Amino acid sequence: MNNDLNINLKVNNIATIRLVQSFDKVTYYTLCPDNDPTSLFEQFVQNHTSKNKDKLNHILAWMKVIGDIVGARAGYFRNEAESADTSALPPKGVDREPTYVEYNDDTGTEEVIGNNLRLYCLRANEHVVFLFNGDVKTAAKAQDCDQVRPHFRLANKLTKVIDDAFREGDIKWDDYNEDVLFDDDLELLIE
Amino acid sequence: MITDWLDQNGDPEIKSFVSKNLAIVDQVHQVLADKEWSQADFAKAMDKRPSEVSKWLSGMHNLTLKSIIKMETVLGIDIIHTEPKKEFEYVFLGMVENQEALANQAVEYQESSYALAM
Repeated sequence: MNNDLNINLKVNNIATIRLVQSFDKVTYYTLCPDNDPTSLFEQFVQNHTSKNKDKLNHILAWMKVIGDIVGARAGYFRNEAESADTSALPPKGVDREPTYVEYNDDTGTEEVIGNNLRLYCLRANEHVVFLFNGDVKTAAKAQDCDQVRPHFRLANKLTKVIDDAFREGDIKWDDYNEDVLFDDDLELLIE
Repeated sequence: MITDWLDQNGDPEIKSFVSKNLAIVDQVHQVLADKEWSQADFAKAMDKRPSEVSKWLSGMHNLTLKSIIKMETVLGIDIIHTEPKKEFEYVFLGMVENQEALANQAVEYQESSYALAM
């Protein structure tokens, strides 16, 4: 069984929406597989708190700034669309230096390097973001990286499912387009 | 959950780095808007390539003190304030002559108003 299939099966075809945290400018949601009490975002945080704490810290610090101060502007998310309009954090710097700084034990200096931890998500608008899962990216393209590929593919699949739920009216915008409305027992079918 | 994690595990250096970087960039964007300057105008004033200035203002760049001072000089602002903070400062606003007489008048006014209301 390859990684893609393994992770897809963990979703078990049905997922529910769960609130992560609401800030002044952005509300973050995640999805929870019906057979697992741990949501995708909780899995991400639990997994990388031990393995990649500083990289996770950098992403969460950005999420708080985006939530508290600037809002979920497109420029703060990197485009990770393959089959749907998926994004990821931390923000992209195509030819820009990243702000993630890591201590190099060999040289004894702080060095600016890229934060290669990816959190895949759907930026629904400037006020609502759906968070999925992710991992450390070790190849130029997500499709070529064994670690992130399953998360990348699943995120694209989940993005399409959420987009369809908007289209079918299962998820609606509030009057101000600042939050989403849905039934507590809404189940999203993952094909 | 995000705030809880940051409170329990967050590195204050990373938090400060992200938020101050953004605060500097937002401040520069505000001044550019006030001056009605584009990023290209700003780049020209600093004798820098537009792509480099775009990088500086992305909120992603590890700004050096030198580049911050270059922006300060061209914009004529202080982005970083180095003066020591004062808790308070006494400021002389002037003197009031015949303080006692004025105070008495105030008391009389209050009493007369009260008497009228009754």
